[in-house]
Amino acid sequence: MNAGGYIEMDAVVKKIINEVKRGDQQAFAELVELYKDKVYQVAYRMLGNVHEAQDIAQEAFLRAYTNLESFDMNRKFSTWLFRIATNLAIDRIRKKKPDFHLEDQVAGTEDLTYYSQFASDEELPEDKVVKLEMQEWVQNEIMMLPPKYRSAIVLKYMEDLSLKEISNILNLPVATVKTRIHRGREALRKRLRDS
Amino acid sequence: MACSSDDKRLIHKYLDEEVTLLEKKQLESHITKCPECEEQLQELRKTVAIIQSASHMKAPDDFTDNVMSRLPKQPRSTRWKV
Repeated sequence: MNAGGYIEMDAVVKKIINEVKRGDQQAFAELVELYKDKVYQVAYRMLGNVHEAQDIAQEAFLRAYTNLESFDMNRKFSTWLFRIATNLAIDRIRKKKPDFHLEDQVAGTEDLTYYSQFASDEELPEDKVVKLEMQEWVQNEIMMLPPKYRSAIVLKYMEDLSLKEISNILNLPVATVKTRIHRGREALRKRLRDS
Repeated sequence: MACSSDDKRLIHKYLDEEVTLLEKKQLESHITKCPECEEQLQELRKTVAIIQSASHMKAPDDFTDNVMSRLPKQPRSTRWKV
């Protein structure tokens, strides 16, 4: 694999998958190495907790392993893997959600007034914000988003994926992905302005 | 100042890098006249920049070993596929 070029990368990944399919279990470690940071990041950004992130990210790789036969080799492996990870993370969020559901408050509305209720807690004058605090602040803000906006924002701005790819991962039309990014962006903007 | 929903829509389209040259000009000329939209656009750009500035994360050191140790045990007589 040189310089992480897309074509080369793709060929390497396919080769590894074939080795695993032929029974070389150890070859799977190479796939894990290639994608562990990205998968872990998605899990962490979605769940906001290192233990859960580890758990979900590992589970995603285990599922990928046991379902490898069903992976369509004509498609992009990372898309498939991200889809597994995102679904697991969303399931986990659903399971631990109390009755009160953020999504209900903002679904289908342009008016995201809900967010302003939370705005007063932290005072973060821009100049004083050091890098680390900023990191925490960003994660906190991400966690305030309803999961469906959260996944779109994380995949777009933290994983740097295209709308088309996000649409494949989330199994949603591109137009829906766009709407979710727009709403997520707006919600974050309002929080930023009020903080 | 009352802006058309079209102007608001253009702001997001602009951020998605999907505006045509004409739309871009349209938005730029609107913004010079509308402080509200200008502010919204600036705030959105800043929001995006902040989110993007978040560091990339690394999986824990023992991650791969943990995954590998949890894989289903392979049967002794693996049926090799061709």
